[in-house]
Amino acid sequence: MFIDAMGLILADNKKITLGELSKPRALAAVPFGGRYRIIDYMLSDMVNSGIKSVGILTLNKYKSLMDHLGTGASWDLDRKNFGLHILPPYVNSESMGVDDADEMAGLLDFIRSNRSAYVIIANSNMILNTTFNDFVDKHEQSGADVSVMYNRDGIKYGVPNYIFEIDRKGYVKDMLFNPEKTVSNRCSLGIAVLRRELLIDLIADMIARGERNFGVHVLTKKFDTLHIRAHEYKGLVLRINNVQSYFNASMLLLDSQVRADLFWTGMPIYTKVKDEAPALYLENSSVSNSILSDGCRIMGTVENSMLFRGVTVSRNSKIKNCVIMQDVHISENCELENVILDKNAVIRPGIKLVGHKDYPVVIGKGAIV
Amino acid sequence: MAKADVVAMILAGGQGARLGVLTKYIAKPAVPFGSRYRIIDFTLSNCANSGIETVGVLSQYQPLALNTYVGNGHPWDLDRNNGGAYILPPYQRSGRSDWYKGTANAIFQNKDFIDDCDPLYVLILSGDHIYKMNYARMLRDHISTKADATLAVLEVPWEEASRFGILNTGANDIISEFVEKPKKPESNLASMGVYIFTWEVLRKALIEDEETPGSSNDFGSNIVPMLLKQGKKLCAYRFSGYWKDVGTISSLWEANMDILDRPEDINLMDRSWRVYSRNPVKPSHYIADGATVINTAMTDGCQIFGSVEHSVLSNSVTIERGAVVKDSVLLPGVTVRAGAYLNKCIVGFDTIIGEGVRAGADVEGESPYLNTKICTNGIVVIERGLKIKDHSVIPANCQVDCDRPVPAEKNVIEEVFRVRKT
Repeated sequence: MFIDAMGLILADNKKITLGELSKPRALAAVPFGGRYRIIDYMLSDMVNSGIKSVGILTLNKYKSLMDHLGTGASWDLDRKNFGLHILPPYVNSESMGVDDADEMAGLLDFIRSNRSAYVIIANSNMILNTTFNDFVDKHEQSGADVSVMYNRDGIKYGVPNYIFEIDRKGYVKDMLFNPEKTVSNRCSLGIAVLRRELLIDLIADMIARGERNFGVHVLTKKFDTLHIRAHEYKGLVLRINNVQSYFNASMLLLDSQVRADLFWTGMPIYTKVKDEAPALYLENSSVSNSILSDGCRIMGTVENSMLFRGVTVSRNSKIKNCVIMQDVHISENCELENVILDKNAVIRPGIKLVGHKDYPVVIGKGAIV
Repeated sequence: MAKADVVAMILAGGQGARLGVLTKYIAKPAVPFGSRYRIIDFTLSNCANSGIETVGVLSQYQPLALNTYVGNGHPWDLDRNNGGAYILPPYQRSGRSDWYKGTANAIFQNKDFIDDCDPLYVLILSGDHIYKMNYARMLRDHISTKADATLAVLEVPWEEASRFGILNTGANDIISEFVEKPKKPESNLASMGVYIFTWEVLRKALIEDEETPGSSNDFGSNIVPMLLKQGKKLCAYRFSGYWKDVGTISSLWEANMDILDRPEDINLMDRSWRVYSRNPVKPSHYIADGATVINTAMTDGCQIFGSVEHSVLSNSVTIERGAVVKDSVLLPGVTVRAGAYLNKCIVGFDTIIGEGVRAGADVEGESPYLNTKICTNGIVVIERGLKIKDHSVIPANCQVDCDRPVPAEKNVIEEVFRVRKT
């Protein structure tokens, strides 16, 4: 698949926090969907579109993101020409603070050094399996300055949301952030495309004006001066806006149609390979309606849950409606319901933890309960 | 080529004819094993974990799958600037060309490769054993005993000793004799097919062996006896731990079941000695409401709606509602349709078992597919890329092979797909 575009993924979002889950890591690095991190979906979409150059903009806490991405080999982005570039924040050696102006200049340099005609910019809280070839083609044909994507079921994932109002020709005439009254159901997907040359001009202009923030919606806000075309995306999109929508999106994956739309489209979602052993279901295991990953050892009961790699569920323990991340150990005689357990957490024998399905309990990374 | 102190050569060219249709299109080392792996993963991972970074893989029989699987060696960290994995097929040369005639001849034909690495030691391995072994420890012994060759041995039960190549040893485990499958074994030390040679010694021996008329150019039957006759110092290195030759259908089935029955023995969960494999890039597996999964190993991409007990499932296997799978090994992409029953079956890549099919060790009946030479202990083997007709009956010890001529009314194959040969 040929595409003359580069990608930019914003690994963090100042408006979205996932509590304990995004405390130790950037939003993009939060595990999602069994063996993946949130960024895997967008990164795979770009790679599956034929994009061979991707920059990842980070704000802070990017260590786990860098561990995950490595050289980009898992996405075939370990290339001589272009490939994967992580753009960490620019720390000023004199003030020891993050220097936004220099950061913008660094971004500008990165985009300048590329040769693609177009740039696709994406936030990293959207989970979808798509390619951008058609999006770029339509953008090119329309003659618009910028094209942005939206869909119509975004409201149900809760705030934050950017809502587009569009005119009869499909151009953005207004953009509202979490409006009290619903003016439209067109929720931004935080994905935009524009000519690389135009993006260079826009960033240079922003630097000159002292603007220090960069992002899809910062660009979209310029609908007064730019022709911004809104493009409806009709496929499946899961949004990670807050802990609640993270939990709901995880549970949605237990639906066969959702899994088919996300994983079995013929375009694989790539992730870092861990070389875990196969999952082992032992004598007393009882599992229903659940997703499990390699390296799991199941001796207890698992129901309506999502288990990441290397999770142990010991004898006589019962797990229901839970999201359990990598290498969590659940001892004997535990009972867990509506709980999200972050990486490496340990649940001691006999513990009972029950959350509500609209308010799941979150156990932080490495916690011992 | 960069200099390496030790070069590993993996013999992976054999057909593995005793695996029947499983090796029709792929060489034995490339046969899937243990849910996530191919047989050769164990040897390649041993090399990587032992710090051996120059590895030649000698391929010959049906090399496509093996070559694409090993590729540049990336999954085993063998994509090195200095060293790495090299696929070494037989090749044409001016004057004459030869297939690999025997294990020793295969190494002989690649002596230029080894010479260019200029190693002190060469490790000869075979690509069809399941075991985890630190070759670095064996090499340390080889160096400290100043041996010309060191052979890894395993103590086997005395009653089984006559099935192996047995090494008779004297003081300090110095080898005095090698006997292939002795009727009356004098020792129970079986050769594991893992050899370390001092390259200078091996190089000379290979050249001499090549010039010996009538030699079958084999390490066990020719090179080792020749070195012993010449008075070279050959030492045994005692290995203890899980080791299995998966050369037959029943040993392949048993080794798969060992993952379930003796998980501590091969211990795939040991993170200090991971077994690496090429990743199929599939999502985590899914167990549906109403499914039963007991005593089973499985991996990415599986979707289970039916019942699975005591089985090993490779990636992307689908088991539909009402299907029952017991004591079986399903290779990647297999689909078992509703109401089918499998017991002690090994099913090849992408095969679809039709609705209500009954196949396996406890299924009775007569069948033209009966093949007791390949299938023993009741095991049923079904070839890759087939659609098995709904409600077919495949009794114990059958091998379903699409090339076998059978009367139309007895044919259980509805369709033969063009499937991947990798």
